[in-house]
Amino acid sequence: MTLVFIREQLRAPLTLALLVALPFLFVVLAADVLGEFADALGGSLVADGATALGAGWSAAFIAGTLGFFQIASAREADRRLARAGIGPFRVAAARIAAAVGLAVLAAAAAYLAMAIEIDVVHPLHAAAAILGYSLIYLGLGALVGCLVRGELEGSLAVAFVFLLDVFSGPGMTEGDGSPLSISRSAADVLLAAAIGAGSPTADWLELAAWVLGALAVAGAGFAFSARSRA
Amino acid sequence: MSGSPSEAESVRPRPSTVAGESPLLQVNKVTKGFRHGVLRRRRIEVLRGASLEVRPGELVGLVGENGSGKSVLMKIIVGLLARDGGEVALAGRLGYCPQEALVWEKLTVAEHFRLFAEAYELTYEQATRAQERLLDELQFARYAGYRTDELSGGTRQKLNLALALMHEPALLLLDEPYSGFDWDTYVRFWEMAEERRAQGMGILIVSHLLAERERLSRVYTLSDGRCVEE
Repeated sequence: MTLVFIREQLRAPLTLALLVALPFLFVVLAADVLGEFADALGGSLVADGATALGAGWSAAFIAGTLGFFQIASAREADRRLARAGIGPFRVAAARIAAAVGLAVLAAAAAYLAMAIEIDVVHPLHAAAAILGYSLIYLGLGALVGCLVRGELEGSLAVAFVFLLDVFSGPGMTEGDGSPLSISRSAADVLLAAAIGAGSPTADWLELAAWVLGALAVAGAGFAFSARSRA
Repeated sequence: MSGSPSEAESVRPRPSTVAGESPLLQVNKVTKGFRHGVLRRRRIEVLRGASLEVRPGELVGLVGENGSGKSVLMKIIVGLLARDGGEVALAGRLGYCPQEALVWEKLTVAEHFRLFAEAYELTYEQATRAQERLLDELQFARYAGYRTDELSGGTRQKLNLALALMHEPALLLLDEPYSGFDWDTYVRFWEMAEERRAQGMGILIVSHLLAERERLSRVYTLSDGRCVEE
């Protein structure tokens, strides 16, 4: 069932376009612009940092959008399948496995774009942070999918949170970033990896907590969406 | 879809046209209302004590004008909507064909059969036989490899119906099942319904327009939230 759901998502032209175009757009084309934005906002984002953060943001946006559309586009059919005998939890498990698979794919595409542009000093740290971005936004997309029925309204909601996150995160503003930034923990690890500094254990633990929380939210969201009303 | 036989025992039996057979479906005084509006909350009562029953070998019609609550009652029976009051008792395996084809746009016809075979816990051989039989009966075998977003409305509806019939349920619920069918398929649909009724399947057909009343064991009209037997 998981493979069928992954196949379903990859057959959508929008998904493929996002996977190819967004990493290129964020990492290759927009890194300089993001650095200038950061400067204007009082931040201190240097060139490699902007490129690395661009990779994280592209993975986040793709995973969040796909997480949302997995729920929004298949809600009624999933519910019918659950009622046919599979049950909401098995449908949710297959959906979340498919969503995590796509999030890994989004993170891989973003990492590849980043590796082409810059030499990352701690590649494994950077990969983990970009995957963290993906999984945190998967949870956000699933949450929005549960709460908002309309595809236009839901995708706008994901984009709105994304913009808040981007412009209030570390490097974009003075200080350590605002509490509005849901990917701050991933950004801290990614920025450190890009400039060659290690991340303290507390940063890793914070990132792990965000990722686990997001996966729990996504699982609950998929189960809620496929549940029976009786 | 399945229902517990013990649920049927908890409901008082009502008179029926078929003597000696326990009902497959008993709907007893079901009520359902919806709230509308944000500032001034209005409550609209759609069902005000709807009751009906279907026994093995019966082909029962439920008619009513647009907005009378037919699909709401159907969704309550299936478990896709919660009822406010009353009882629903199901016995045996349930097949449900919703009014709108609840399918996944990017999956093929064959993939739909595989997913529902898993839901109905059919073996590979049973699933293959059921798929071949239904593709042949409804005459859409050549579309087995097509994605549903490539199908016409009528062919989507054939798939919708086939998924409900795959496991040969004891009780079949059909909500406007022939919308989009061409004449040949419409005639074939009624032949299929009669064949299955002869084998003991109980069938409830919901429609705003039932032209084939002579084929039905009886007809209920849903009016003012109640089912009236004609």
